[in-house]
Amino acid sequence: MERSEILNKVKEILEPYVKNEEAFGNINEDTSILDDLQVNSARLVDIILAFEDEFDIEVDDEAADQVGTIGDAIELIHGQIN
Amino acid sequence: MNNELKVALVTGGGTGIGAACCRELAKAGYAVGIHYNSSSGPAEAVQAELENSFTIQADLSTREGADEICTALKERGNLEVLVNNAGMTMDAPLFSAKIDDFDKVVNTNMRGTWYLTKRLGRLMMRNKTGRVINISSVVGSTGNPTQSVYGMTKAAIDNFTRTAAMEFAPYNILVNSVAPGFIETKMTDVLSEDVQQHILGQIPLNRMGTPEEVASFVRFLATEGTYCTGTVFHVNGGMYGG
Ligand SMILES: NC(=O)c1ccc[n+]([C@@H]2O[C@H](COP(=O)([O-])OP(=O)(O)OC[C@H]3O[C@@H](n4cnc5c(N)ncnc54)[C@H](OP(=O)(O)O)[C@@H]3O)[C@@H](O)[C@H]2O)c1
Repeated sequence: MERSEILNKVKEILEPYVKNEEAFGNINEDTSILDDLQVNSARLVDIILAFEDEFDIEVDDEAADQVGTIGDAIELIHGQIN
Repeated sequence: MNNELKVALVTGGGTGIGAACCRELAKAGYAVGIHYNSSSGPAEAVQAELENSFTIQADLSTREGADEICTALKERGNLEVLVNNAGMTMDAPLFSAKIDDFDKVVNTNMRGTWYLTKRLGRLMMRNKTGRVINISSVVGSTGNPTQSVYGMTKAAIDNFTRTAAMEFAPYNILVNSVAPGFIETKMTDVLSEDVQQHILGQIPLNRMGTPEEVASFVRFLATEGTYCTGTVFHVNGGMYGG
């Protein structure tokens, strides 16, 4: 799966949790999920579970802790499915 | 073994209160995961008694041990109930208590409970259902001379119960503490006759409790108690009411 395709799916998963619409509109690999998109940190677990379901992967706790930006999320997913 | 059954994990399930919890939860229809550390004989005996049960050996005071439990449960799947029962004490007056003992007790009782709940809670979050029952102690509420560290860990567990209940509520996972008073197990067997008499003097029912009396309450929280979460339930013959 291409990174751009992963990005689109990641965006779909994140959308319901995003508080900053403007940052979401300008989303790129450097966008921080917590700081820029202002996703509530308590919802990160839902996002990780959704990644697991959507991409049929398993994200362990350490790997989940490494996800700060959109780029990190894409890297994690890309690494596991390819 | 029937892998379709819902699983209940009891840490420290080979002896005392944990073994009684295993029996009650098996009666309630769970495939019971009997975790033990050093009590392999007693744990295997409990396993032989209970249909569909299985054992897991691990030292919960180490991170590797805690990880082994999580891996085993993840592979087994269907986890619905976690009873954080494993616990230990190293009693000494504050004056002579040792810092290494502090670490051992804190790592087993407090960190072990926190870590298993954190990791196994995620499996329950995925299923959008679960029960976590933390075995604390009356000493966490009252304090007790020579149990400064043990009492701290048990008070911490009760506080953790409240926070975990709040965080897990959206996932339909209920988290409660059961705080036993003095119960007849190997933990209290070691108390001298004098100390036992002194303790009895503080218990309105004038006897120690049995592991089964704690376990039946654990079963209630695992299988019923649908509107109970974030609460410390005292099972202590009247010595402390909360
Ligand atoms: N008895 C009481 O009066 C009383 C009162 C209040 C609260 N409690 C609590 O009830 C729980 C059960 O105690 P109990 O009375 O039934 O005494 P127990 O028979 O001594 O049970 C303690 C259990 O904890 C396990 N454990 C201890 N250290 C461990 C470690 N490092 N790694 C993994 N497991 C470990 C033991 O496993 P192994 O034997 O396999 O090593 C044992 O099965 C404890 O949390 C205790 O604090 C007891």
